[in-house]
Amino acid sequence: MAATTLTIVSGKGGTGKSAVAAALAIERARAGRSVLAIDMGGSPGLGTHLHRPGLSYDPIETRPGLWAMTMDRATALDEYLKLQLRVPQGAPTRQIAGALSVLADTAPGVREIISIGKPIYEVWRGVWDDVIVDAPSLGQLQSYLRAPATIRELVPTGNVRRQARELAATLSDPEVTSVVLVTTPAELPIRETGEAVDTLLEEALCPPPAVIVNRFLDPSGLDAASVGRLPEGSSVRGAAEMQVTMEAEQAGWRDALDHTATLPFLRGVLTPEEVAVRLADVLEATP
Amino acid sequence: MTNAVIVTGAGGVGKTTLSAAIGAETARTGRRTLVLTIDPAKRLADALGVEALGDEPTPMPNVDGLWAAMLDVSASWEAIIHRYADPEVGDRLLVNPYFRAIADRFPAAQAYAAGERMAEYLESHAYDMVVVDTPPSGGGIDFFRAPATTGDLVSGKLLKWLTGSHLPGRSLLYRFTAKPMLRIADTVLGGPMLSDVADFLLDLRTMYDALTTRSKTIERYLRAADTVIATTADPTPLHETHRFFRELGDIAIDPAAIVFNRALPSAWTADAERPIRGVDDPELRAVAKANLRAWGAEARRQGDAMKELSARYGVPLVAVPWTSPPPDSIDDLCDLVHGRGLFELLSS
Repeated sequence: MAATTLTIVSGKGGTGKSAVAAALAIERARAGRSVLAIDMGGSPGLGTHLHRPGLSYDPIETRPGLWAMTMDRATALDEYLKLQLRVPQGAPTRQIAGALSVLADTAPGVREIISIGKPIYEVWRGVWDDVIVDAPSLGQLQSYLRAPATIRELVPTGNVRRQARELAATLSDPEVTSVVLVTTPAELPIRETGEAVDTLLEEALCPPPAVIVNRFLDPSGLDAASVGRLPEGSSVRGAAEMQVTMEAEQAGWRDALDHTATLPFLRGVLTPEEVAVRLADVLEATP
Repeated sequence: MTNAVIVTGAGGVGKTTLSAAIGAETARTGRRTLVLTIDPAKRLADALGVEALGDEPTPMPNVDGLWAAMLDVSASWEAIIHRYADPEVGDRLLVNPYFRAIADRFPAAQAYAAGERMAEYLESHAYDMVVVDTPPSGGGIDFFRAPATTGDLVSGKLLKWLTGSHLPGRSLLYRFTAKPMLRIADTVLGGPMLSDVADFLLDLRTMYDALTTRSKTIERYLRAADTVIATTADPTPLHETHRFFRELGDIAIDPAAIVFNRALPSAWTADAERPIRGVDDPELRAVAKANLRAWGAEARRQGDAMKELSARYGVPLVAVPWTSPPPDSIDDLCDLVHGRGLFELLSS
C-alpha cells in the first residue's frame, strides 16, 4: 500500500476552508480511498459540512470510506504522551502529564506540536489512504508549521525535541504532505493569502502550498452594455449590476494570485452538506 | 464623557469596514471620534485618506474630527509591562521567549491589549466616541472574556501546580527544581523548559494585583459600551453569533444591535418569480432572469437567517446592503450605516 498522504487545508476566516476540506475528503472517498478528516478545533464547520455537527475525538464514518473526528486537547495531550513521547517505564506519568499541560499553556510551540502531532501520528500509523486536516486559519497555521523549529531552539534535549524533529520531517516531505490555502477573490483574502504563500515558500517548512479560489461567480453572460438595456430601478437590473461589477472585481483579484483551482459561489438555500457535495462534484471534474 | 461602541463578530464579515463607517458617520455629526482598528484593507485606508495607520491615533484627512489607530499587540503589551511591572522584572519579561510567545499568539492577550487600549482612550477624555474593531482571533465572545482569561494566566494557577505552593516566592523555585519528580519530568520532556517556565510565571505573578484591578476596570468599560454584533448569512459567522448569545450570561453584555452585513434587497426573491417587463430582446431577458433567480435565492437564504436571528434573540437587526465594489470613498462608507436606524439603537 502506498504511503498515507496528508493534506492541510487552511485559509483566512470566512473563505470557506471547512467546506473545501469537507469537499476534498468527499471527493477522495468517492474515488475509493479511505479518508480521515480531522477538524483541528475552533469552528464546527467540518462536522456540519459532513452532516455530523457533533464530531468526537473517536472517528466516525460519515459516508462510505470517509471518517471524521475533531481535536480534543486533553485527549490529544494524553495520546501524545503515551504514543509519541515514549515515556520510559517507571517514570512518574502523572507528573509528566501535568508538566506537559503547563508547558502547553505557556511554552511556545508545545501546544502546536501536540495538536499537529495527532494528524501526523495518523499518517504514521499507515491505516488511511488520506488524512485531511481542517486546520486553523492562516496566522495560526504558520505557528503550527514553525512549532518544531521553535522547540529545537528552546529545548536542547529530551523526548519533546526528538518528536518535534520527526514531525518536521513529515511536514516537509513533498511525497506525503500538501498544504492547500483557500481564499475568496476579494482584496483582503487575496492579499493575506499571497503573504502567507510568500512566507511559507521562504521558510520552506512545508512543500509549496496550493491555492484554491473559492466562491467565484459562474459567468452570467451579462455585460455592462446589456445591463444598460434593462429597466432602471428594477430588481432585474439591480441584480445584473451586482453580478457584472462582482464578476469584474472577482476576476481581477483571482488573477492577482497563482492558483490551482477555482470553486463556484453557490447561491441560494443549500445546507452545509449540499455545499460540500457540490464543491466535491466540481473538484472531481477538475484535473 | 466618552461613549464606546464595540463591533464584534466572526472574521471576514466586514467588522473593520463597519467600524470605520460608524466612526466616520459619528464624526460627521460633529463629535470627536476615534476608531481603534485592526488591519484595514488598502481600499478602506484610501477611503479614509491615509497611506497606513500606526499605533498612535492619527487624524483622518478625509473627515474632520475622525482619528484612527491600529492595534499593535506587541507594542501594547510592552506598554502594559512598563506600566504594571517593576523595572527590573519588566526588562526580564520583555526578553523572555515565553512572554513573547504569549503576547504574540495567545488570543486572549490580543483581545486584552485591545481592551486596555480602549480603556486608555476612554480615560484620556480626548474623544466623544471610541469605536473598537475587535481582533479576528478571540473575536466574538472571547473578546469580552479576555480580561478574566488573562487574569488566570497571571494569577499563578499554573505556578501553583508547578510549585505546589499557594503564594510562591522566588525562593520556592529552588525547592521546585529540587523536587525529584519534576526533575525527572523535565529530563524526559526536555530540560530546562519547566524551570524556565516557572521562572517566567514567577515574574508574571508580580503583576498580579495591578493587572487584576485593571482587568476589572476594563470589564466595566466593556459592559458600559454599546456592543454591535456583525454577521453575514454565511455558516461560520452565523454560528459565532448564536454562540455569542448562548454564552451571553457569562459576560453580562446586552448587545445593542445585530448588524447583518452584505444584505441583498429582499424584493429580489419575489421579483425573480414575476415576468420581466420592458426587455424586448428574449435572449437578454432569459439571461437577466436567470441571474435574478440566482441572486433571489441567495436573498431568500439571507432573509431566512435574519428572521431566525431576530426571532430567537429579540435584539434589533440592522441590515447593511451589499455593495460591489466595496466602499472606496467617505460618502460610500457613511452610506453603509446612514439612515438605517443603527444610531438610534446606541445609548449615545
